[in-house]
Amino acid sequence: MRPDSLGQFEQLVLTAILALHDDAYGVTIHSKVQELAQPKAVSLGAVYVTLDRLEDKGLVASWLSDPTPERGGRAKRCYRLEALGERALQESALTAKRIWDVIAQTWGKDWAREWGKRWRKEAG
Amino acid sequence: MHPGPSKAQRGASSRAAIQDSNSADLKRRGSPRFARDLKAAEAIVAILLPPACREEVLGDLHQRYRSPLQYGLEALQTVPLVIISRIRRTADPQLLLLQILALFVSFFGAAWLAGGALLRAPWGPLRLAIPVAVALVGLILEDAYAKPGWRAPRKLTRGPVIGLGLALLWQGMLWALHSDFVLPRWIMLYGCAMGLLLSSAVRILFPPGHQLQGVNIPASWLKQAGDCVEFPKGWLVTLLIVLLVLSIAYQAWK
Repeated sequence: MRPDSLGQFEQLVLTAILALHDDAYGVTIHSKVQELAQPKAVSLGAVYVTLDRLEDKGLVASWLSDPTPERGGRAKRCYRLEALGERALQESALTAKRIWDVIAQTWGKDWAREWGKRWRKEAG
Repeated sequence: MHPGPSKAQRGASSRAAIQDSNSADLKRRGSPRFARDLKAAEAIVAILLPPACREEVLGDLHQRYRSPLQYGLEALQTVPLVIISRIRRTADPQLLLLQILALFVSFFGAAWLAGGALLRAPWGPLRLAIPVAVALVGLILEDAYAKPGWRAPRKLTRGPVIGLGLALLWQGMLWALHSDFVLPRWIMLYGCAMGLLLSSAVRILFPPGHQLQGVNIPASWLKQAGDCVEFPKGWLVTLLIVLLVLSIAYQAWK
């Protein structure tokens, strides 16, 4: 089955789940998405809506974990990427790479080098 | 140029800062006032959240709690989106179309049995659509707030009861405001009674959340389920808009 094309916010949420491995649930996904979406602010509600949509599309799966005291004795809903989600994310990454290549080719190597420096600085 | 702190030093200082803020947070979280504020805020939010996602959303909000104001603002931003997302997941356009038809036929039938004067009156059929729309809102909300999983037929009738109860309340409000859109009492009561029967029958035959291929439908329909073409949501909206425009045009022409 071929995955649907992803919106930018869906890409961010899928990337957050990928990066968080076994610790992907509402709060951590929201923090990671916020970090990825800088400087834009992201609401927790928007993350829930997107997670529900991704689950309906079959790109992620969810399950309830055991309750923890730090959450007032409530369970977490944990998420993991499904095979379809991984494929969708790979396609998005490839598209982004192609866009980057065309921009770098059009605006020149100096511009690409400058942006590369900025990214390295941002990554610390 | 002055060399800044090394990467290891920066890491150690940021770790210490995180530990400090965590211990302060833990101390604050242990205080009775903190627990009291949080409990009161959570009790309100728990009522508003659909049960299907109450556990994880309340847990997430609990984990992010800093102050009552922060909790309130975050809940205000989060809860409406959670409800909308739940409605999107539980509302089935095909079933909604069937419910609209069942409810409208009920009120139309009641108006026809009452002599049909309302049907010939200006904006008559559109006045009949008001309780249908209100009842539909009640049905949609009942589905969104129902516990997930299989529901007994008796529990499925709760949706039409709530929806039509809301429609009666709405009519009562219109009646109190002396609005022109209020329906005659006889039509309203008979329409609600017929609507309750028809809408409940539709929900028992096609339980929400099972699409149109449940075990309660005739076997011949089940055979055709494989050929069933999914009804796009856009078509439903277009169809409703066209029906609305046509009825307004008809009323204006009359």
